[in-house]
Amino acid sequence: MSLLEIQDLSVVYEPRGAAPTLAVKDVSLTLEQGEFVGLVGESGSGKSTLGFAVTRLHKPPARIAAGRIVFDGVDVAQLDAEELRVQRRGGFAMVLQSGMNALNPVRTVGNHFTDVFAAHGHVPTAARRRRATELLDKVQLPSTVLDRYPGELSGGMRQRVSIALALSLEPRLMVFDEPTTALDVLVQHAVMDTIRELQAAEGFTAVLISHDLGVVLESAQRVVVMHDGEVVEDGAARQVFEAPAHPYTQMLLSHYADPRAEVVELPGLERRAPAVTEPGAAPASAPAAGTVPAAGTPATGRRAARDAIVVDHVSKVYPPPRRGEQPVTAVDDVSFRLEPGAAMALVGQSGSGKSTIAKMVTGVERPTSGTVTFGDLQVDRLRRHQLKRLHTDVQMVFQDPYSALNPLHTVEYTLTRPVENYTGLRGEAARERVLGLLEKVGLTPVEQFAAKLPHQLSGGQRQRVVIARALASDPQVLIADEPVSMLDVSLRAGVLALLEELRAETGVSLLYITHDLLSARVITDRIMVLHHGRVVESGGTAQVLRFPEDEYTTRLLDAIPQPARRFGGVA
Amino acid sequence: MRYVLRRLGLLVLTLWAAVTLNFVIPRLMPGSPTDAAIAKLAQNGPVTPAVQAAIEAQLGVPGGSWWNQYVDYLGNVLTLDFGVSYTFFPQQVSGLVAGALPWTLIMVGLVTVLAFVLGTLIGVGAAWRRGTWVDSLPTVGGSFLSAFPYFWTALLIVFFLGYVAGWFPTSGAYSATATPNLSWQFLGDALYHAALPAATILLTSLGGWILGMRNAMINTLGEDYVTFAEANGLRGRTVAVRYAARNAILPNLTGFGMALGGVVGGSLLVEQVFAYPGVGYLLYNAVTNQDFPLMQALFLMITVSVLVANFLVDILYGILDPRTRR
Repeated sequence: MSLLEIQDLSVVYEPRGAAPTLAVKDVSLTLEQGEFVGLVGESGSGKSTLGFAVTRLHKPPARIAAGRIVFDGVDVAQLDAEELRVQRRGGFAMVLQSGMNALNPVRTVGNHFTDVFAAHGHVPTAARRRRATELLDKVQLPSTVLDRYPGELSGGMRQRVSIALALSLEPRLMVFDEPTTALDVLVQHAVMDTIRELQAAEGFTAVLISHDLGVVLESAQRVVVMHDGEVVEDGAARQVFEAPAHPYTQMLLSHYADPRAEVVELPGLERRAPAVTEPGAAPASAPAAGTVPAAGTPATGRRAARDAIVVDHVSKVYPPPRRGEQPVTAVDDVSFRLEPGAAMALVGQSGSGKSTIAKMVTGVERPTSGTVTFGDLQVDRLRRHQLKRLHTDVQMVFQDPYSALNPLHTVEYTLTRPVENYTGLRGEAARERVLGLLEKVGLTPVEQFAAKLPHQLSGGQRQRVVIARALASDPQVLIADEPVSMLDVSLRAGVLALLEELRAETGVSLLYITHDLLSARVITDRIMVLHHGRVVESGGTAQVLRFPEDEYTTRLLDAIPQPARRFGGVA
Repeated sequence: MRYVLRRLGLLVLTLWAAVTLNFVIPRLMPGSPTDAAIAKLAQNGPVTPAVQAAIEAQLGVPGGSWWNQYVDYLGNVLTLDFGVSYTFFPQQVSGLVAGALPWTLIMVGLVTVLAFVLGTLIGVGAAWRRGTWVDSLPTVGGSFLSAFPYFWTALLIVFFLGYVAGWFPTSGAYSATATPNLSWQFLGDALYHAALPAATILLTSLGGWILGMRNAMINTLGEDYVTFAEANGLRGRTVAVRYAARNAILPNLTGFGMALGGVVGGSLLVEQVFAYPGVGYLLYNAVTNQDFPLMQALFLMITVSVLVANFLVDILYGILDPRTRR
């Protein structure tokens, strides 16, 4: 008998005062004991809804409309609350997306274990601490963690604690809902390793829900692809990787590439490696370290004089977070030059100082030492009224398009404000400029998009509006802080292509801040790798990513899921 | 422990600042109580310097440099000597306050605590059983009652339960024939007199606590740690109390601290309607009669009680929320 049989399951969302939507449509799926299954889909595909329904954790307005979920011979859709609660031990467990918030901030880790043991009575009181220590050991945490509060642990540690807690139920089925999404790249990699090892050692059946086909292909034996509430593909991981049957799967796969490859291709974007030197050999015509040459074809200058951003031996030290602690050095002696029309990537994990650099370049923060200049402007000395001059030329694109737009204003209003502010245009002229901006970022028909409110737009469209807003002042420099990390993979390439296009057309230079090496590879020429606020490596993007010389760069590259490595094929 | 000491240090510092402000502000104001008295007397004829000196001596108007006055003042505050009341001359201000304070502290204080505890419990229940009658009855009823102005509820209660039905006494803290002592009989009598003002305060403040707790708890019920606790099969009661309510109560504690601090001064209207001999009643008398020493003492007491209540809540916060302890 199979461990889990999902038969014609439909889950409907019935929000009060709105039309019901079918999030999961007639899904049938069978899981065998000990399988490691990946469930992949983009946002809105119904993958998490399915995961929550299977573990009976869905809450109103979600409702199981039809179908059976037979777990070990019992239909869990029919269980009452107490039966359900009792069977959670030795049944199915769930690890949630944001491990950050999955633990009660006012209870110690030890108390979390005690609560679970007490609820099911499967570990005698005397043995509880020993058992908790064993479980923590399985997720590679020391027993000292037991007396800590969640707030005292890092994100990765917290997610490990939740895995250990789920494990304490001795489950036969573990559902991992985006277990590493909220974590840092390197930590993600380590946590995924732990999950794989545990699954192999403990033999539970695992369902890994993820938006990242790369992560799933690297871990799962079998891959289930969901789109629009339906399962569109279900097969062995190797088969899905090598010969995806459904066009949707093919499309998802086309967005994966190895940033180390000689030619990196994403839909709509292609980047060949320029004359790259083997490691060891001195770069033939490499520019001096830290300088960024203009892109191949210099854009026809809109303005006579165009300026470079020069960051010279800049450091930023924040005062200690609490009394008696060390001050925090966010940026440590960083220098670079961003030439007009060039594209440079700043990469590193969170806390590496890359966003702090962006803040200093835009004049939001002042460096503790060193200087930032843009043309004749000394950015680190600007007074408030001078900032406007800087911001006419240096504009920012933010990470989260969902919170970067005021939900109460139409796109036209959002764009008219900066147009009036920076260009002085009014009335019909301003409107024309707004429509021109929309055209430029590919939101056509422009009249229609101008009238829309943010919630009527998709994430990708919102990010285009954010980019249009940054372009309103006709800037010379765009600073994009993780502009695609919140977007579905299928939308990322489009936004990246837009940035690339704008650079070619208007000659704007781009400072691209990211942890995603693949996107850095396809839209930038130069790269700087930051670690603990220091530049550990810099140079041509292709050169650095293909032949990294610093151990940290290698670690970042290794952390990217590479199904090709597992299956040996070419991506 | 270091957290408590740090809070204690902060309390002492703010107390000193409050006491000092209380000293400085009246001296910066134009005019003085003596001027007021002399102006009144002047209507009947010229005031001789001897009369003026007599008035100053009688009122205890301080002389000497500000510094000397300040040192004297600090000493007086520490020994709780606030001088003589003008209205209830020649009674000591400290005696008047000491007489009024217990009534307010016990009646208003207990009711405030009771309202917080009851409101929080009902709020937890309402959020946990969202959408059932356990939710709708107290939320709708609570908002209805707290929409009434304080004094209006008081007047209605006095009128219907006091005059019309005659079930409860309508004024005073105890019967005219009773003498305050610690016998059961007197305590029963005091409780009987406290019933109506207490009910007024309870009714008008309960709704706020219910709504505050319910809304905070509905937020925490959506948190991942609650979902995760359910996924781990914890009992419903454990999830509701230790996971959801335990976190939801934190923001409400701040409001509770403010309510506690307001106990001493904030019951003015209710005490007025019920002629309850508490601090609010005394303050009303002091203000209407321009009784400066009494006012000054009462204002100082109100400030101090707000500070002390906030200190206590800070300590409680430290116990309940490990994140503030560091």
